[in-house]
Parts: sequence; C-alpha cells; structure tokens
Amino acid sequence: MLFTSTDFSALDLPEHLSQVRHEVREFLHEERRQGSFRVHLGHGEFDAEFSRKVGSRGWIGVTWPKKYGGREASYLERFVITEELLAAAAPISAHWIADRQTGPSFLRFGTEAQRQKYLPAIAKGECYFAIGMSEPNSGSDLASVRTRADKVSGGWKLSGQKVWSSWAHKAHAMFVLCRTSPLAENKHEGLSQLIVDLPSPGVTIRPINFLNNEHHFNEVFFDEAFVPDEMVLGEIGQGWRQVTSELALERSGPERYMNTLPLFFALIDRLKTSPDRMARVTVGTLLARFASVRVMSLAIASEFSRETSPNLATEAALVKDIGTHFEREVTEAVKMLLDVTPGVDADDELERLVGEATIFAPISTIRGGTTQILRGIVAKRLEGGV
Amino acid sequence: MSDSTLLQDAVSRVFLDFYRNDRLNKARQEGWCTELWKALEQTGMTLVSVPESLGGSGGSVVEAAEILRLSGKYCAAVPLAETALLAGWALAAQGIALPQGPLAFGIVQGRDQLRVDRNDGAWEISGYVDPVPYARHASAVVLVARIGAGSKVICAPASTYRVHPHANLAGEARDRIVFDEDALDDWRVSDAESSVTVEQALQRGALARAVQMSGALERILEMTTEYARHRAQFGRPIIKFQAVQQELARLAGEAAIAKASAMAAAASVQANDRAEMAVAFAKIRAGEAAQAGASIAHQLHGAIGVTDEYLLHHSTLRLWAWRSEYGSEAVWADKLGRHALDRGSAKLWAEITGSVRDPR
Repeated sequence: MLFTSTDFSALDLPEHLSQVRHEVREFLHEERRQGSFRVHLGHGEFDAEFSRKVGSRGWIGVTWPKKYGGREASYLERFVITEELLAAAAPISAHWIADRQTGPSFLRFGTEAQRQKYLPAIAKGECYFAIGMSEPNSGSDLASVRTRADKVSGGWKLSGQKVWSSWAHKAHAMFVLCRTSPLAENKHEGLSQLIVDLPSPGVTIRPINFLNNEHHFNEVFFDEAFVPDEMVLGEIGQGWRQVTSELALERSGPERYMNTLPLFFALIDRLKTSPDRMARVTVGTLLARFASVRVMSLAIASEFSRETSPNLATEAALVKDIGTHFEREVTEAVKMLLDVTPGVDADDELERLVGEATIFAPISTIRGGTTQILRGIVAKRLEGGV
Repeated sequence: MSDSTLLQDAVSRVFLDFYRNDRLNKARQEGWCTELWKALEQTGMTLVSVPESLGGSGGSVVEAAEILRLSGKYCAAVPLAETALLAGWALAAQGIALPQGPLAFGIVQGRDQLRVDRNDGAWEISGYVDPVPYARHASAVVLVARIGAGSKVICAPASTYRVHPHANLAGEARDRIVFDEDALDDWRVSDAESSVTVEQALQRGALARAVQMSGALERILEMTTEYARHRAQFGRPIIKFQAVQQELARLAGEAAIAKASAMAAAASVQANDRAEMAVAFAKIRAGEAAQAGASIAHQLHGAIGVTDEYLLHHSTLRLWAWRSEYGSEAVWADKLGRHALDRGSAKLWAEITGSVRDPR
C-alpha cells in the first residue's frame, strides 16, 4: 500500500529550517527590490550571475559532503530552499539540472577525480550541466536510445543525436546516455553514461526553438566525438540503473507542482478586492490541492532525510502526476475568475503570467516522465500486489 | 515492524471479523454493529485520545486517527469518532469523566432549535438537534451549543431524549433527537471551556470523516486492483489494458493524497498547530478523492460493483456520505478561500510554510 510506513506527524519542519527559510526569503526580497530579476514561470530564466549569488550563499548542493562544496544539510533543507526560490519564480535555470540531477549522480557513481572536477564548481553556481537522454525516436521509451559509443584506445567514440537538451548551448558539460554494447534481448542492458565537456570537437549543438520562439531546447549531434575513459560515469553497462536511481527525488520535488504558484499568488492578491462565493470556493479548493500535494512531497523528502534510499518511486510518480495537473488547474481558475487576456508582453503582470502559464502548460506533464508513463509505473506496482 | 504497523495489524484484525457482507448488511438495517462495538470496547480502542484520568485509554489524536482510518477502511458502523474524538474530547476539556458505553455527539447549529433553562435548581432542556450520529444506540449524547454569549457542553443520558431514526446513504445512524422540557442534573450542563466551541467540534468531526474517507479509499483501491487482476475479458486480465491501468493509477493517487492530507491534519490537531487550516485541506482533498475514487472504482468493476451482494458499495456509499458530513468541500473551501483572500498571498505563504504559527 502507498505510504505504508510514512509518519505524517513528523512533517513539522525542524526549527532551524525557519531560519534558513527566512534567509532565502530576505535574499529574494532584496534581489527583487533591486530589480535583479523579473517573475517568469517555468523554472525561471538562465541567469548565471543569479546562480553565482545563490551558490555563494550555500544554497546549491546543500546535501553534499563538505569536501565537495556542499554543507551536508538534510533533504528537508534543500526542500525549503527550493520551495522559496520557486515561490518567488527566481531565475534558477542555469544551475538547476546540475544541482538536482548531476551532483547526486556524481556522488553515487562518479570517480573521485570527477567529483573534484565538477562538484565544487557546481556548488558555487559556476558550472552548469545539460542532459542528453531523449532522441528523435526515443522519448518515453528511453531504453531504445541509439546513440552509440564504440571502444577505442583510451576512451570511447560517440556518435548519434540527442534532443530536448535544455540549455546545452550554455552548459559546461552534459551527461549522455548511450549504447556501449549492441541491443540484446534485455534492452536495459548495455547502456552507459558518458560525461561530455562542452564545447568539444565532434559535438554540434543546434537550437530547437520553443513554441514561443524562445531558445532553451537544443538538439545535440555527436560525430565520432572522443570521450576519454576517465569521463565514463559509473560502470559501463550500468547506465539504465544509474539514470533511474534518483527518480523518486526528481519526480517528487516542489518543482513538480509549484510552477504556477506565483500566478496563484497573483490571483489571490487580485481577487482580494471583490471575492464572491465562487472565487472563495475556487481559491480554497486550489489551496487545499496545493497543500495536500505538498504534504506528499514533503513526506518523501523527509523519508530521504531518514533513510538513504527509501522505496518511494510509486509515491513520487503520483506527486508528479497530481502536481503537474494542479499547476494547470491554477491557470484555468484564473481564466474562469478574472476577465484577463493572456499575453506574453502584457503590461499587467498577471496577464503576462497567465500567458506564460498557458504556453508552458504542455511541458510539465511531459518532461521527467509523461503522465501516461507515470500512471503505467503506478499500475505496474499495483499489478504486483497492493 | 514499527509500533504503528503492529497497532494497525491488531486493530485491523478486530475490524476484519466484521467485514463480511451479511454483517455489513445487518449493520445497515440496524444503523450500527453491536457486536463490533462490544469487541472494540474490550480492547480499549473506543477511548483512545481521552486521558486515562477521565476514564479514557490515553494516547494521541494521531493514534486515534490511525484506528479511525482502519474503521473507515473496513466499513465499521460504530461511534468511534463520536465517542473518543468528539464526546470524549468535549467532556475531558470540561473535566467530566466519561459515562460508560457508546456516546453520541451533536453540534447545535443552523436549523437546530435547543433551549436550556434553569428551573427549580435544575436544567430544563427542550428542542431538537439533527443529525446526531448513533444517538439511538448511545448511552448518552454530548452536545456543544452556542447559547447566548458563550457555549455550553451538555451531557444528556439516553433516558432524556426521544430519537427519530434517520440514516446516511450507507445506513449509518444519523438520528434526530428531541427533548421535551426534560430535566437534567446540574453537572450535565456546563459553560464550555475556551477550547470547546462549535468551530472546534466541526473541525474534529471533519478530521474524523477525512481520516475515515482515506481508509475507505485505501480499501476500494485494494478491491479494484484485485478485481482487475482476476477479471479476464478479451482473453486477458483487464489490468493488462492500458486504459484500465491509467484509471487504476489515478485511483491510487487519490487514495495516497487523501491519506497524506488526513494524517497530516491529525498531527496538526494533536500539536494544536495551524489545525483549522490543515483540517480544511484534508476535508476538501479527501472529499474530492472520495468522489473521484468511488467513481473510478465503480467504473472498473463494471456492473459487478453495483450489486448488493458485492462489498464495494459499503465503501462507496460511505465515501459519498462522509464527504458531506461536518461540512462539504464547498463549505470548507469557502471558509478557507475567505481566509486566504483576507490574508493576501505573502502572509498566506508564510502561514502555510510555518513561518507564522497559531498563537498557542
């Protein structure tokens, strides 16, 4: 059964985290006052200067060992920091992937040299990563990737194509999931992860503009690009296990349900003047949905603070499914309750945010596992017995 | 195995003895299950969260909620929430020891009409209260009423009121009680302590139903999964069909989120920390889950699930009933929405994240 041994009475955050929360909130308040960023939905903008400021405060890689630039703090502390950054729609795209995915992967599977090379720089907010997983013919069925690495003297020769690599054109390196032995009966075997510094010879990055003409996605081509042996992440042939190992944390974080929260805040502050019953009931309902998915997310972070790898993959899949749909419900509620015209360049901030939320809506239920894949994961667990 | 798992197993065993269609149908006719109540009384489970000094079994609201969740899971038609979490709570706050036997609890509000007067050195009580769950089976009913400027707690023995039996959708007793200038001893009517108000009573009632709904959702998820694994159509178990899998996963999500929000609310009530908000979240979200979950469970069971001989309806009828008891989603969302809009987003965010606490 779901959340079998989870103790929901332990969710009251430890007192010292209020202090951390206040520091982050104060910092963001001051940054906004100085006009250092403008609210943008959907993980915010790529802003290296902002990421360096966040890093210098010790808010990147917070759970990592001190010797790699971390602070050995709990997942709950990371939860609090992330929550505040997202509530303010701060521009954290630059360091986001490195902080959430790359760092933990290095800690689990990386060599000492790899950790020394990348982790302190990531924690400072100076080193950014992209991800090379999806391919033109391989999205949800990730194990079907065809990008291939062949063994050569001293390393690997990488050939193939990746798509949807966010910010690859600005990142310092990327993880590439590729096939290092031919497709056999078990397609999960024979996959490996390589680290590719960017730019590199034989690697071409081309923009794929998003539907609003903005550039954050890329396609990345590898044409016999040489990757030295010391840039293999973990073990050759263990790529599948490695990429799926941290999914519970990746799928259950606040970023799965907070992308439109700044819009919800704007709605609340706009309605304040004339709330009728429909407005009150809608706001109350949305608030309850938000708070409930937050409890699930917090419960998972809290279990990770107690145990190294609790088996909460199913619960995490549910957080992402329910959370991403909540994000959309906020946007629809705004359109039902207010007479607004969504606009990307509207002077009115609320109208601009509705515009952004509308445009970004299709992505959240796709990236990191589509709704349908997530529900398949849950069903598979149920099939094996509740 | 953790303590809480051991407790859950022990409690589940008691409920499971009575989780059979013949017994549930009988309970539906009678408005409750006498034998189950007796079995529960023997274990002390009926008085969890009431202090031992006042005749209870001790324990926290969270422990009481865990028992209630399982009572919801196994369709237990007994006044567990009413006796401990509601009547027991109100009497304990007044320093009054619990009467023996099952207790009913009523909140005097809205259309109710109740008069309590002093007459010849005793109290005289008239009027009616509706609904009072399980009144017909209780040894006494405890009422919380706003009377004049303050609130009163009334503990009326069964001999003082007449019962008009009514039931909710699932056949659980939801009676109307009528007083006809009945006399009550002095101690039976007291000015309520500040912690005992109509609002607090509603909050506890809503917590109880949210927790029970989360249990019922867990049960219909189990039943529906089992069914989908064994029911074959077109030559294979229907759980192999993606369309079925997708709906089953949604049901699992509704069950999980109801459990998380309900148990978190129990912890908030126990800690007396932002309890009103947490209970509102839980009652709203569990109510939504009840609607979505019951509908999926029936759809996946096909016509099998709507028959009287199959157990599913005992759970879904309860989900539909509990959803509107102690305030529907709309009632709680209205209150919550008003609060949110009064606060504004910045203060609201501070409150949700715990940087502003309830005055204790």
